[in-house]
Amino acid sequence: MGNGKRVWHRLLSDRRAVVCMAILAIEVLCVLILPLLLDLEPDLTDRTVGFWAPPSAAHWLGTDDVGRDILARLVCGGRISLLVGFASAAINLVVGVPLGLLAGYRRGKWEFWIMRLADVFQSFPSIVLILCLVTLMGASVLNLVLVIGFLGWPGIARLVYGNVLAVREKEYILAVRALGARTGTILLRNVLPNAVAPVWAALGQRVGRAILSESSLSFLGVGIRAPQASWGNLMQSAASLAVLTGRPWVWLPPGLLIILTVVCLQILGNALRDAMDPRTSAGR
Amino acid sequence: MAQYIRRRLITAIPVFFGITMLVFLLVDLAPGDLTDLMGEGAASTVEQAAMEAAVGLDQPLPVRYLLWLAGLFRGDLGRSYHYGQDVSHLIVQRIGPSLLLTGTGVVLAVAIAVPLGVAAAWKPKGAWDRLAHLFTISGSAVPGFFLALVAIYLFSVRLGWLPSSGMYRSVGGGDMADLLRHLILPAGVVGVSNVGSILRQTQSACLEVLGEDYIITARAKGLREGVVVVRHALGSALIPVLTSILTHIPHIIGGSVVVERIFGWPGMGSLMFSAVSGRDYNVVMGGTVVMALAVLLTSLLLDVVYGLVDPRVRYGER
Amino acid sequence: MKKITAFGLALVLTFALTACRGGTAESGAVPSQSEDEEVTVHYGISNSWDALMPYNSVSGSNYARMIYDKIYDRLAYVHADGTLSPRAAKRWENTDEGYAALFYLDENATFHDGTQVTAAHWVETFTLMTDPACPVLGRGNFSVFVGTDQDGCRTDGESFGVEAVDDFTLKLTFKVPTTPEDFLLDKNREFYVLPTHLLEGVDPSVLMELDLWKKPVGSGPCKFVEELPGSQLTLAANQHYHLGAPGFDYLVITVMDKSNLLTALIAGDLDYYAIGGSVSAEDAPLAESSGLTILEGTVPNTFFELMLNGNSIPDARVRRAIELALDKELLCEQSTHGLGTAAGSSISPESPYADAAVTAGERDVEAAKQLLAEAGYDGRRYTLVCTSNRSGLAALMQQNLAEAGINVIIETVDSAAMFAGMSDGTYDMGIASHTPGALPLWFTESRLSSTNNIFHIADLTPYTARIQAIRSETDQSKRLELVAELDTYLAQERPFIPLWFGTALHAQSPTVSNIDYPSSSFSNENVWEWVKE
Repeated sequence: MGNGKRVWHRLLSDRRAVVCMAILAIEVLCVLILPLLLDLEPDLTDRTVGFWAPPSAAHWLGTDDVGRDILARLVCGGRISLLVGFASAAINLVVGVPLGLLAGYRRGKWEFWIMRLADVFQSFPSIVLILCLVTLMGASVLNLVLVIGFLGWPGIARLVYGNVLAVREKEYILAVRALGARTGTILLRNVLPNAVAPVWAALGQRVGRAILSESSLSFLGVGIRAPQASWGNLMQSAASLAVLTGRPWVWLPPGLLIILTVVCLQILGNALRDAMDPRTSAGR
Repeated sequence: MAQYIRRRLITAIPVFFGITMLVFLLVDLAPGDLTDLMGEGAASTVEQAAMEAAVGLDQPLPVRYLLWLAGLFRGDLGRSYHYGQDVSHLIVQRIGPSLLLTGTGVVLAVAIAVPLGVAAAWKPKGAWDRLAHLFTISGSAVPGFFLALVAIYLFSVRLGWLPSSGMYRSVGGGDMADLLRHLILPAGVVGVSNVGSILRQTQSACLEVLGEDYIITARAKGLREGVVVVRHALGSALIPVLTSILTHIPHIIGGSVVVERIFGWPGMGSLMFSAVSGRDYNVVMGGTVVMALAVLLTSLLLDVVYGLVDPRVRYGER
Repeated sequence: MKKITAFGLALVLTFALTACRGGTAESGAVPSQSEDEEVTVHYGISNSWDALMPYNSVSGSNYARMIYDKIYDRLAYVHADGTLSPRAAKRWENTDEGYAALFYLDENATFHDGTQVTAAHWVETFTLMTDPACPVLGRGNFSVFVGTDQDGCRTDGESFGVEAVDDFTLKLTFKVPTTPEDFLLDKNREFYVLPTHLLEGVDPSVLMELDLWKKPVGSGPCKFVEELPGSQLTLAANQHYHLGAPGFDYLVITVMDKSNLLTALIAGDLDYYAIGGSVSAEDAPLAESSGLTILEGTVPNTFFELMLNGNSIPDARVRRAIELALDKELLCEQSTHGLGTAAGSSISPESPYADAAVTAGERDVEAAKQLLAEAGYDGRRYTLVCTSNRSGLAALMQQNLAEAGINVIIETVDSAAMFAGMSDGTYDMGIASHTPGALPLWFTESRLSSTNNIFHIADLTPYTARIQAIRSETDQSKRLELVAELDTYLAQERPFIPLWFGTALHAQSPTVSNIDYPSSSFSNENVWEWVKE
């Protein structure tokens, strides 16, 4: 589609977006490829250097309370954190977009019940609901992704719904409908592409928020379970005063990575929205 | 008018039942029986059976839901299995401190976000805009618990300026100054974490207003920029911004679980956390349902008030 | 402008709502007016307590016991070294050929409402708590007395082994010969005297729901002032406590995250935190450089064991192989940073029975592999459960066991869920820790019994018979032999794997003096001797 190409071009002309894309791409590549290249053993205790070893040639970021290499845990933790972020945002999308489309296009009963369901979900403070569900279901990566993913759909659905309402009365949609096209086809071909632009910016935020939620849960002791690492539970060791003040190499790298990732996702999301929005002129 | 309120109420009813059912099912379908989640050897099987009967676990699911709902209407949320006290009593005790912490946090956030947002909207791409951009993007990127830990280390341990925990130093409440000193750190953390979203809302609302015809007219009439921005733009942008903040307060209350836990603040968040980890199901159910219903009620009230004041709303979509 | 009005109205509404709620929270929360000279001790705790009724403790945790210890009185005070001091009882003696003990109560002890504490209060308390109609938690503790069944409920037709000889003499009769010292070391922390004069005519089945427990009256060193359940408890010093008035006016107990306890102590927001201001060896240098004193415990106050599920690991050879595969020294080092000793038995190294204890063996992966091969271990995966703060230990164990070819996955849950999951057989192994007692059977007796068979032992008789024999043996040297025999049998069967005994470090704030830090591990604190200037 020519449209996709144009968006891509506009995105590439935004310098900050390019930088952010590059950073995120490097992060993803690192967590995927580094474990294959380097011989990373995130779960293995190195008995020669012992517990809480400072950075050295053998362990660039030192070792943790059990003598495991922090760098290896950082890389493997990145896999988990990014997986939680992206997978749960994907679920947001998969659930939210169709429901939003349906509510906005079909109106009537569909609209009423889908929006009421969204009201129900949005009435709950999300962290409390996540905390309850994760504690009750058990904190596996899968459960975390499912819970964060399925609780986040109403925001996306509302966005799509609002856009569809604006789009559905436009002349070209009316024209297509008059030509007798099937509802599904209209939704997919004509409504969806026009309604989905603002979703991208929200999506960037979603991924970031999911990564942050995971880290908060780790702090509360219900995040990703040991011995699996995540950026959240690596950073959680800063809760010990001795670690916070005396061993910055333990919590600083995961902390910086979390911040960097969340910031990049936001900037990229905004840039993508601007690039897809025909109203904004190219380049910011 | 009556018809408008009626219509609004009708939409609220399914949401009410949705909320209560979701809470009930959430807790009821949880794996693990509440009566066997006790300390090692704390209860024998006889004690367990007696407790199950006492909690009413021997009834079928719909019956229990209806019983619970009936209790909810009477303000009876059952007894806390952990503390042996009425859940409603526990919640009432927590709402005050929670609102105080959240309220102060939000006020702090607004105090930073609104002026900055207006200034940023006034001159897009200017210095303020860049600063605002920095804030919106990075403000919420730092995990709240980390912010709290660093704040405690800096201001309580290092500098010794502010207390690290609790709400009062002295017994029986203490004075205002004492409360304020205890409030600064946790409220500051809540505030800083929420600046970003409020800033974004203010900025976009202002930008929208500044693009409207009457502002352009006002500018064309030669009114001073300051007057235009403050009186017209801010004036009209403030309402959507503040409305959205008000409806978000319950969320911020729920979201301050981590802050309350770290600072030992006796609010809803810490109650919910200890209830969830202690499997005190009546408190979990009561707490979540109260928070969710508070959100529902706030939005209902806001809509009704808008409808009262502005007739156009009554015939609008919402 | 209408919008502004609308908004104003909304604001007023919201704040009106807020105000009424806030108002109710405040009222009743203000105790006797505070004066400037009043001295408050700030006490931090990481886990909240339960209902303020000592026989209704859902968690049954030491945190809850610490609170009951303040409001209610116990018979004696247990020191870390296993010696006893008077508390509600001035002295005690053996009688009826060792089957009974007499406790001479302190006549000066009074309840917070001024009523004198008599032997009748103790008898009525125990009678009420063993009433099957009364929903008591932890009633099993009463099963040591004559006239109760194994759940601790009173049985019909038998005379109850708790009597008042006179107003201030309490007589307890046991099912097996027990010295009062052994009884106190084992069970002192479980028994409190209740103000039964306020419970007259109450239906036992609703006893736990009384409003009395929201404003409890006890005879302990502190009086109840107010409570914010799960967050804060304010107590006032009991000026009439018979062992002396505490050296402060108020004791404010605040629940906070454990990560903030030491920080708050350093910052001066706390004077003490439970339990015993314990601090890790890692944080100790920092605490010391921040003006706190670090005190090393005198006796081991933690015992770590690996609980095993005898149902899913039925072969004793596999259980022994697990023990051989574990590097107890390394695990102990990780957990205690040099303040612990690896153990082969649950008998405390400071106990008079230490000589009877099996010592910790060397790690031997090859022997473990051989045992596994003999037992025909099929490589099945076991679930190791622990609390989240012990996930590091679990990860080490997982590596240890993997070296011997034992496949383990780790689950982290909270401690209640861990014990519940161990007792219903969900998990195969679990890391637990306990405060060791000086008695040889402190650990084994309650766990190797049919009421609390947490290790899922198919046939308990070999254990119960041996325990019974030890209990009824009065000759010291013969008893020692029997204990050694039981311990050897345990090493052979390995229903659980003893790991190590650890000693604690206590962070001591200069603000309060006379705190008996080490004894706090034994669930009592000498608050009546604490002094804050």
